[in-house]
Amino acid sequence: MSSDPFLWLALGSTAISVLLLGWYLVRRPPLTRATKLVLLLGIGVLPLMTAGTGNVAGYHATKTTTFCSSSCHVMTPYGNDSLDPASTTLAARHARNAEFGHENCYACHADYEMFGTITTKIGGLRHVYEYTFNYHQLSTEAALVKMEIRRPFANATCMRCHSTQNPTWNAVGDHASTLDRVRAGTLSCASEGCHGPAHPFSKAAKRRASL
Amino acid sequence: MRLWRRLRAITITGLVRAAAVLTILALGLMVWSLLDPSVLPVMLAMSVGQLFGTIAFGMYVVAIIKDLRRARAARDP
Repeated sequence: MSSDPFLWLALGSTAISVLLLGWYLVRRPPLTRATKLVLLLGIGVLPLMTAGTGNVAGYHATKTTTFCSSSCHVMTPYGNDSLDPASTTLAARHARNAEFGHENCYACHADYEMFGTITTKIGGLRHVYEYTFNYHQLSTEAALVKMEIRRPFANATCMRCHSTQNPTWNAVGDHASTLDRVRAGTLSCASEGCHGPAHPFSKAAKRRASL
Repeated sequence: MRLWRRLRAITITGLVRAAAVLTILALGLMVWSLLDPSVLPVMLAMSVGQLFGTIAFGMYVVAIIKDLRRARAARDP
C-alpha cells in the first residue's frame, strides 16, 4: 500500500463521510440543524476533501512509468526499456537518473509551461481516445508500425537540463555547429543521427514492415 | 420545465437521501481510482465521480433552501 499522504487523507475523509451518510440513511433522523451540519460534512466538506486529495493522488499515479506502461499494452516495450538497466537507449539512460526516477516518461513528455500539468493531462485524454479507438485491438507489433509522436519532441524539454550554454557542451563540434538550430528547435536533439531515437521501437518496426 | 417541476415535487427528505446515495457512489468511484490507479478508474473518478459529487451537493443545497423556505412560510403564514 502506498505511503502517499494524499491517499490516506482521501481514504480517511471517505470513511468518515460514508459513516455519516450511512448513519443518516439507516437511522433516518429528522432534518434538524445538527443533522444538516452532519450532512454538510458528509455530502459537502469531506467529499470535497476526498475529491481534492484524490485528484492530487490521481495526478501522482498517472505520472508514474508503471501507469504509462501497464495501462496501454502498446506502451509496454517503452516502459520496460526505460527501466532496463542494460539498455543503452536515450530513454533508458535518462531513466537511470534519480531526478527522473519512477516518473521518467512524464519527466520528458510533460509540458513545462505555466499550465503544463493541465495541458499534459488534456493531451493524456487524447492518448486515451487514440488507444481506445485505434490501438486497443492491435497487437503491439502492429501498433508500433502505426504509432507516431504527435508533435516533434521539443528541444526545450532537453534544454531544461542541458542548457546549451555550458562550455563543455559547446566544446562538442556538432553542438557548436548546430547551436542556433538546436536553440530554435529546427534540429531535434532526439533525431536520428543526433541522440535519437529515444525509443528505438516504432522506427525499427516501420523498417521491418517496409522490408 | 418538466424536469424542474418534477424536481420541485421531490420531498426534502427524498432530495437529501438521494444526495447521500449519490455521494456514496461518487466516493466509491474515487476510492476505486485511489486503490487501483489505472486508466478506467482514474477517468471515471475524475469525470463521473466529480459529476455525481457536484450534483449531490447541489441537491443538498436545494433541499436546505426548500427547508428554510418551508420554515419561513410556517413562521410567517
